[in-house]
Amino acid sequence: MARKLRVWVDHNVCVGNAMCETIAPKVFRLNENRQSEAVNPEGDTVEKILEAAENCPVSAIFVEDAETGEQLFP
Amino acid sequence: MGTVVQDDMFTRDVIADPYGYYGRLRDEDPVHWNDTYALWVITRHEDVTWLTRHHELFSSAVFKNDPRGAYPDIDESDLGLYEYVRNYQGDQFIQHDRPVHLDMRRIVHGYFTPKAMESWRPFVVNAVKELLDAAEEKGSMDVMRDLATPLPVLVIAQMMGVPAEDRPYVRELAEKLLYIGRGEYDRMPILTDGMKGMLEYVSPLVDERIVRPGDDFISVLASGEKKGVFTRHQVLVNTSLLLLAGHETTINLICNGTLAFLQHPSQWALYKEDPAGRAKWATEECLRYDAPVKSIQRLASQDIEVRDKVMRKDDRIRWFISSANRDPNVFAEPNKFDITRQPNPHVAFGNGVHHCLGATLARVEGQEVFKALAERFPNLQIESEELHYQPSITFRSLKSLPVIWQ
Repeated sequence: MARKLRVWVDHNVCVGNAMCETIAPKVFRLNENRQSEAVNPEGDTVEKILEAAENCPVSAIFVEDAETGEQLFP
Repeated sequence: MGTVVQDDMFTRDVIADPYGYYGRLRDEDPVHWNDTYALWVITRHEDVTWLTRHHELFSSAVFKNDPRGAYPDIDESDLGLYEYVRNYQGDQFIQHDRPVHLDMRRIVHGYFTPKAMESWRPFVVNAVKELLDAAEEKGSMDVMRDLATPLPVLVIAQMMGVPAEDRPYVRELAEKLLYIGRGEYDRMPILTDGMKGMLEYVSPLVDERIVRPGDDFISVLASGEKKGVFTRHQVLVNTSLLLLAGHETTINLICNGTLAFLQHPSQWALYKEDPAGRAKWATEECLRYDAPVKSIQRLASQDIEVRDKVMRKDDRIRWFISSANRDPNVFAEPNKFDITRQPNPHVAFGNGVHHCLGATLARVEGQEVFKALAERFPNLQIESEELHYQPSITFRSLKSLPVIWQ
């Protein structure tokens, strides 16, 4: 079974660069303020979600294991 | 329209203190038509954030698509040179809109992730140390000449993978490229000289990296050529962009930040209590308080209404970081230099899909410089209160910053 993730974006930091949306469009979507929202943490593989987080230019994306609470990014 | 603000953005007063002039526009006429330069001046934080996040309404393809000439005016006999500049600048990836911009940015984006740039920190620490060793031996320093200018060139030369003995020449070319943001009437020959020199210098390096790619930035761009995303001219021009964009901006962060510390002794004292611990937020405050870049231009992609003003398709628009970063609607006591300010949503690196690619690198360089200065020169003082700035509306650049520490 796939690992369940908790994914969120810090809106004090997000600048709407939208690279996360490009890398994992089913997981991240820009809201009406053009800031990213993690709309579906099951929308892509763990690898893709971590790739999106790593490519955030301002490190606004946080990823945790939903069951264990283990921090996967940053 | 009752504003009485004069429209010459290059007067001595406006260059010396952009905060007074653009701050007044922000308060009185936040979407201002500047008749002298025929462009819109956008000054509120809210509007700058909105504008930069709506790239589909405001085109970044300024050099290719702006039918009007250079401003301020240039010598008429240099119009041919300006065409060269347009063609050169227009091939920078930042001068493109989506979808092409995204294809180009994806080639270079991975090189500049926060994690990747953190790995450059030891190199930066060492470069700062060597520059400060030399200054200490000499007993005095011009922060501009002896620290802020050579540091980014060392870093970028390493990223480009150029031999150490070529660095002075690369620096010489960078000096000429900086004329892009200046206002001198006769700036075109110097600028194009720098551009042509860059193309000639970088060309054999690209030839080599196409055949034998390494882990340097030119190899990254060359991979884009292989994928069909960049033409050869674009590879060359974007190498040059790295040199320019990573150079002037970092110089200004270091000089303007150092100046802010030294003009606010209580903040400098607070910083010195814990330079390593305070470096992060102090650097953000330097970026906010006296940002390296003052303004950036766009072109309206369509007719659009903003705050009851109607912009027409192809109108020139300049958004001002200098005023947005001092907007009282976002920052409490905006004119106060406060190194503990948190959060600090300044727009020094812009916003949206064009957010500065080198932001993390600039932060690393700023943090390490301010840390090292506080640790090694706690008694640092400005040598002279007389300060002069370059006549640019793009860059907030001191001409020099002599300091003493005895």
